[in-house]
Amino acid sequence: MEELRKGFHHELDEVRLSLARLAASVIEAIPRATNVLLSGDLEGAEYLILADDEIDARSIALEDRCYQLLALQAPVAGELRQLISILKLVGEIERSADLTVNIAKAARRIYGHALDPKLRGIITKMGEQAQQLFTSALQSFEENDVAIAGAIDDMDSYLDSLQRQFVQAIFESHAAGNIDLQVAIQLAVVARFYERIGDHAVNIGERVLFIVSGWRPHNKGAARHVSKLAEDDTYGIRIVPTNNSDV
Amino acid sequence: MLLRGIVVGLVVGFLVSRIIFLRRSAAANTQPIVSVLETSPSEAEAHVAGLDSVLNAIPLGVVVTDEQGNIILGNHVVAGVEILRHIDVLVNEAVERIIKKSRETGSSVRETLELFGPPPRTLVIEARPLEGSKSIAIIEDISERTRIDAVRTDFVANISHELKTPVGALSILADTIRDEDDLKVIHRLSSKMVKEANRMAKTIDDLLELSRIELDVSAVLEPVSIFSVVAESIDRMAYFAAQAGIGIVSQLPEADCVVKGDRLQLVSAVSNLIDNAVKYSEKGDEVTVRVSPQDETVDISVNDEGIGIPPSDIDRVFERFYRVDRARSRGTGGTGLGLSIVRHVMNNHGGSVNVTSQEGEGSTFVLTLLHQSGNTSVNNI
Repeated sequence: MEELRKGFHHELDEVRLSLARLAASVIEAIPRATNVLLSGDLEGAEYLILADDEIDARSIALEDRCYQLLALQAPVAGELRQLISILKLVGEIERSADLTVNIAKAARRIYGHALDPKLRGIITKMGEQAQQLFTSALQSFEENDVAIAGAIDDMDSYLDSLQRQFVQAIFESHAAGNIDLQVAIQLAVVARFYERIGDHAVNIGERVLFIVSGWRPHNKGAARHVSKLAEDDTYGIRIVPTNNSDV
Repeated sequence: MLLRGIVVGLVVGFLVSRIIFLRRSAAANTQPIVSVLETSPSEAEAHVAGLDSVLNAIPLGVVVTDEQGNIILGNHVVAGVEILRHIDVLVNEAVERIIKKSRETGSSVRETLELFGPPPRTLVIEARPLEGSKSIAIIEDISERTRIDAVRTDFVANISHELKTPVGALSILADTIRDEDDLKVIHRLSSKMVKEANRMAKTIDDLLELSRIELDVSAVLEPVSIFSVVAESIDRMAYFAAQAGIGIVSQLPEADCVVKGDRLQLVSAVSNLIDNAVKYSEKGDEVTVRVSPQDETVDISVNDEGIGIPPSDIDRVFERFYRVDRARSRGTGGTGLGLSIVRHVMNNHGGSVNVTSQEGEGSTFVLTLLHQSGNTSVNNI
């Protein structure tokens, strides 16, 4: 029986490898984006923008491949979870690559404006942390390691606190007259980009958890809605609670 | 370098053809057409295992693929450095792509892969077809070579900048003064000339000191008290620090530490670090000099709360004339040689200097020296 699915398993391995490569490209792009921002490297910015086109093309190709496998191989259980999850992961990774492009574009907009060492220091830390989160996400995916996947969320809270520190530092720098409003706003948006990259890494970790165990992390908002609905069936739009373990 | 490459290439090529040959004969157990080695399958397997370890001992990455592009042989060495996960993934992808290209074109394909890291890596990957539709890829890590090239290029640019700028200024100022009658203007220009000449003299002094320290490897080393080195260094910088409104605090252990060394050189190293710490601090900040004895060594650390060093520059600050921010450096009046001097002093003493820094939070430089007791074994050799 196993022999019959050999071709499919090989293809599934290839799809997983393509996804890992896509994620590795993003991990490579994050420090590049940070460097573009800190050194005002316009050529580097251009490189990142072009490199993202390639990531987009590869994402689309990978997505198509998943559809094909779903349609032609009709996978079940763990393999079905795997393919559905990879479809979602492609989106997370592709969006993260877009965020590195957004950082590069912000760098172009603030080109020529000197930043305080404190701001530069926090940008460096945010970049390192975002890269670290994504590296852990890749590792958890490659090794199906649930423990690492679970740790990403905790690591992300440090990135969130860096973002808050950074916003505070922007206010101080602006108040001291070191940066004008335009630069301040660009920087605040940049902090948001890093923070979003971290969120995508967290999502990847959660998906790995789902691939391995079929269990999906608790979503607070959805749970709140379901419990309110149970108390009062006229509340909001009616949704039917789903049972994860069926997949 | 080229010769070495060719020799390594030949050795690798030979080994690989040998291994493939052995594998084939071992697997199929058929009589080889040219009977180079008449071995039984188990002996052939043993040879393959032996050659695998030989392959792993070569400081190059080697990958051999069969006609379908599957890896049949490879070592896990990319220049003997443990590489990061995502770099591993990216290198694998590049190797696969380049082998494919070489198979399609039937010729050798060479590409350079630049990875940002950190730390940044530059790899040269070369794939070429082998007989029997097989392919080989050789991965060479040229990061160190690339780095040294950059250091060399920058050094030439920086030294010409540091020496030519004051000379250029002097010549223009002198030229202007020659045709000037207004005493006020002459006075102003000549004081600028004095400033430029002083700057030039300071650079030359530092260069001379650096070459003296470099040559001074066989200096007579004598027992030196670390407390007195720290006290004298702080003393040297105290006035300058007070002028800038920066405090210097020293944290010393209860007992003094004694190292074998050249007193003047050690004072020069520590005061250079304090000088930098003061220069890159803001008014009201504090510079801390700490002495902490370890088992066999003693650490002298100089910590500031200043602007810090960007991660991309931190490995390069010990290079001669290297500047993190050239625009700022003229304002601080340094020559760009201070940290090179520190590094050479440490080399002369068999010690080391390390730096950690975070932009906006400050930097810490740590000098590590052997205790006098730990040093005796060195003297016996």
